[in-house]
Amino acid sequence: MTDVAADGREHVVVGIGDGAAGFGGHERGGGTPGGLATQDMVLNIGPQHPATHGVLRLKLTLDGERIVDCDPVVGYMHRGVEKLFEVRDYRQIIVLANRHDWLSAFSSELGVVLAVERMLGMEVPTRAVWLRTMLAELNRVLNHLMFLGSYPIELGAITPMFYAFRERETLQAVMEEISGGRMHYMFNRVGGLKEDIPAGWVDRADDAARAVRSRMPQIEDLIFGNEIFQARTRGVGVLSRELIDAYGVSGPIARASGVDFDLRRDDPYLAYQELVDDGVMQVITQEEGDCYARFGMLLDQVQVSLDIVEACVDRLRSLDRGPINVRLPKILKAPEGATYAWTENPLGINGYYLVSRGEKTPWRMKLRSASFNNIAVLPEVLTGCVVADMVAVLGSMFFVVGDIDK
Amino acid sequence: MNWPGKGLAKGLAVTFRQMTRRSVTAHYPDALPELPPRTRGVIALIEENCTSCMLCARECPAWCIYIDSHKDVIPATTEGGKDKTRNVLDRFAIDFSLCMYCSICVEACPFDALHWSPEFEYAELDIRELTHEKDRLRDWMWTVPAPVALDPGAEEAKEIGVAEKAAERAAAAQRVVEPVETTTGDLDKLDQPKEGDT
Repeated sequence: MTDVAADGREHVVVGIGDGAAGFGGHERGGGTPGGLATQDMVLNIGPQHPATHGVLRLKLTLDGERIVDCDPVVGYMHRGVEKLFEVRDYRQIIVLANRHDWLSAFSSELGVVLAVERMLGMEVPTRAVWLRTMLAELNRVLNHLMFLGSYPIELGAITPMFYAFRERETLQAVMEEISGGRMHYMFNRVGGLKEDIPAGWVDRADDAARAVRSRMPQIEDLIFGNEIFQARTRGVGVLSRELIDAYGVSGPIARASGVDFDLRRDDPYLAYQELVDDGVMQVITQEEGDCYARFGMLLDQVQVSLDIVEACVDRLRSLDRGPINVRLPKILKAPEGATYAWTENPLGINGYYLVSRGEKTPWRMKLRSASFNNIAVLPEVLTGCVVADMVAVLGSMFFVVGDIDK
Repeated sequence: MNWPGKGLAKGLAVTFRQMTRRSVTAHYPDALPELPPRTRGVIALIEENCTSCMLCARECPAWCIYIDSHKDVIPATTEGGKDKTRNVLDRFAIDFSLCMYCSICVEACPFDALHWSPEFEYAELDIRELTHEKDRLRDWMWTVPAPVALDPGAEEAKEIGVAEKAAERAAAAQRVVEPVETTTGDLDKLDQPKEGDT
């Protein structure tokens, strides 16, 4: 039978069984045509499910194939990081801050140091500002490449992962050379960065960024035109602007639904103001708001980030000789007061609300992580989907479980 | 033109092109990775530099460093002089099963007793074996690479400035000792290298 949907496209429903509720002409819980009543089923997905990349648990209420309710159960990876922040000095906090979202470690560190620097009224050396900008963008590329590889896997396409990981490896080599770490860089310090740039690193980073850029079309050709991939993602899991506003969804997911909001432009930190003025930093939005648009955002953002990296490389080459950090007192204390520092992390807005009572540890440090809000909207999107679309929608919300549970 | 299966064919074309290229996969352990000198693999200890001041153990966010020490009395060398005490390190251990590889202890050490080595092959079957005692930590020291040269835009390391000043002073002191022409009382005092300068 055929059914004309709101968008004018015809949907063909093949095979109608007990669980055809929601399909054309079948009411929820309507049962079989013979009059047998059907019951809702609660399907437990996770906490150990490969498609949830982590320990996110979903309690789905199903009416046949149709999801009528979804209840994300979070907290399996709760580490009490906000409480731990309270008994750590500011250098030790950086260690924890880069661990809640292990795919955007550098950007998460950045929020902490920006907050403390603002409290102290500290001026960060120019070279540190540009290097931080560059590393934050490299980190964004690394994060997006991960999802560009892992999302197709969740939909059954294994190949893009290998291409994405080759690019990740290229960039990770550069990150490891400067910071010593591959994931938990621990390279930010209050007042700048831990160590200066190794000789020749800028050229190698430039080469790596160029190499990645030259090979990005491969990932695009591999998956974006693929008919199977498109059939599973186009028009699936559409996120409306109202839901984005209601749930505080941010980052590439929000921009895929046409929300033109990016902290790098709208509340510039680091060197982003200059990059926006130069036209290097552009905010890309898409209108569709479906899984395909969200996935496409990643590819577009990688291009923008690589542009920014190139601009930073040029700037780092031309900057005068100077320090990379500010010498700190032996015991660093933030003055009494409060501040809120937010950054545009790869996955969305990451904010730190820092309250200090003049001690060497914060009195309270509230973490607003992007993934938590991005996954909170999931029940609204999933309701009405079929089970087969669940993984497509879930994967396209781009989250890290550590970032949800904190 | 858009024919069915075009996207699929495009993807397969990428795969086929890639098939003709050299593989990028490194076959560890047959091929060992080349790690940069800053890689945080394992922490090495120069026991001789350690004064058991406990700074690293206190700064460690995971409290994974264990230090035991006692004070040794060195009897006075001169008659009626004061006895001196010296810290002796009995135990220095790092529990790598707890370590978060954050590098704070290496940074905190005021005597450069701790260093990073890129070595990473120390997996164990028993978690207790991951606590490296001081002789094992000392052995890692042989694998510590020299620090990397810095970018031309980097500020000079403060050690270089200190060393240059010390060299200048030493040179000036020599000039003072040999030719007598310029010697004045003031200069003599100024050029005396102070104790502790290197």
